[in-house]
Amino acid sequence: MQAPADIAPPVVAGHQPRRRRTHRSLAPLLAGPGVLFVVVFLLLPLGLMLRYSLNRFVPGELMEVALTAGNYVRFLHDPFYQSVLWTTLWISAVSTATCAIAGFPVAFYLARTAGPRLKPVLMMAVVLPLLMGNSVRTAAWMVLLGSHGVIAGIVGWIVPGVRIELMYTPAAVVIGLVSVLLPFMIITVQSTLENADRSVEEAAASLGAPPYRVLFRIVLPLCLPGLLAGIVLCFVLAMNAYATPVLLGGPQMHMMAPTVYEQIAKAMNWPFGAALAFILMAVTLVLTVASNVLVQRRFRKWTG
Amino acid sequence: MDGVTAVTFQSLLYRFSAWLVLAFVVGPLVVIVWVAFFANAIIAFPPSGYTLGWFVRAWQSDAFREGFLLSLKVGIVASIASLLLGIPASVAISRHAFPGREAISTILLAPIVVPGIVGGAALYIALLAFELATGIQIAGTIWGLLVAHTLIAIPWTVRLVTASLLRVNRSIEEAAVNLGATPLVAFRRVTLPAIRPGLVAAVLLSFVVSFIDLEKSLFLVGPGQTTLPIAILNYLEWNLDPTIAAVATVQIGLIAVALWLADRAVGLTRIF
Repeated sequence: MQAPADIAPPVVAGHQPRRRRTHRSLAPLLAGPGVLFVVVFLLLPLGLMLRYSLNRFVPGELMEVALTAGNYVRFLHDPFYQSVLWTTLWISAVSTATCAIAGFPVAFYLARTAGPRLKPVLMMAVVLPLLMGNSVRTAAWMVLLGSHGVIAGIVGWIVPGVRIELMYTPAAVVIGLVSVLLPFMIITVQSTLENADRSVEEAAASLGAPPYRVLFRIVLPLCLPGLLAGIVLCFVLAMNAYATPVLLGGPQMHMMAPTVYEQIAKAMNWPFGAALAFILMAVTLVLTVASNVLVQRRFRKWTG
Repeated sequence: MDGVTAVTFQSLLYRFSAWLVLAFVVGPLVVIVWVAFFANAIIAFPPSGYTLGWFVRAWQSDAFREGFLLSLKVGIVASIASLLLGIPASVAISRHAFPGREAISTILLAPIVVPGIVGGAALYIALLAFELATGIQIAGTIWGLLVAHTLIAIPWTVRLVTASLLRVNRSIEEAAVNLGATPLVAFRRVTLPAIRPGLVAAVLLSFVVSFIDLEKSLFLVGPGQTTLPIAILNYLEWNLDPTIAAVATVQIGLIAVALWLADRAVGLTRIF
């Protein structure tokens, strides 16, 4: 599972230590092993993969050392990989938009309506599924969406004689992704609403604004930073999803993360697979950083 | 919108939609636990009867039994390893001012920021390149999985332990040192007991994120070395019967217990 970096409690600085000199010499020793571990097993491999993405693939013998942008050019020009990127982008966009629209009422309900007894229970109901694992949650959707599943059963009961096939369609992938990503959206928006000043809403309402106007003119602008952070988080996680497109989309559905796996582990085309992985990561990081900057710059004056 | 306000059609609609969305998130998990007890082999609603047989069947399957035991083993070792690496690093971040502290905490949180499939691919390539150079195989053995899962657990450990350390009253530690305790003794006798709930939560959360990992493990599993989520994935490509629901139910139950314990140690909703 990809965990949300944006909504975690920030690691803030402690107090200034009194005896700085002895501490300073100790700190690298303390942090060293952990940092070394991440550098050796994550950052150096990423560097190696970046280098390999500039190599040339030779069928039969892994690759040939080169310094070429050919793999990236191939990705941008090959119609098949263009369609993979396009499918990934639109599926992610539709899933994210659905999460934003469906998640907002729940976030508002948790932040404003749910009573003190109900709220912790509902919060757990939102958080727990996040940590149950995507393979289990996708298995559940396969049961629900299958030809004998609950959804087909309900549709057949309402409209007798109609048999719908949802499995292995883009709709199934979107449904699965929305279910996996909704908790991220709900938690992000809910925490912004929790911090927003309620008296502004109350003032608007007492001055005669109807509820829909309070919603669109006061509540939505106030929780825009959280909504934006949630949208970026969901989009990034949707783009990197593996289990949902593979299991619910079937073999005809090609998205970025499964394609990276196929190229590197199955086709053993490391240079091209590495280029794919870096394109995926570049989009992810650019979006994450851009949203962080945007949220911090644009909305600081609003959120205090 | 409490008792004072009249319950309007709009507020009913709003409540209904909120509950509907919640059902969409939780419902699938409830359904898969329910299906695990269905008597018929082809999943159809409603079931013709109920049985516990699928759990026996799941345990008799080599892929699921060995996958479960491997995931358990890897999760336990990885969470302990991440604690050993993470506690000192958290102390450095929360107790020491030094140049590059920001960079260090960024590096330690990097495994969460880099997409799992990208980090997994990079580690796989690096381990195979290492194997080509030295002849030592790591990918496809339990060691590759242990490395990957420790990597997954480190950010969670650092985040939780740092947060606990920042809440400890510093003056008690300083009093211990002023009264003659060495920094190590002060840490062991004063700080460690104070952050114990954070450590418990860190171990449990690390175990959970290791147990459910899919993307990184995907590259590193090998013949006879398959974690439970990958075994589920492989099975689902060709089959769909209550066996998989039974396996899913076991995973859900195990994680629920771990999270319940973590929630008792520190409020779980605070972690996110």
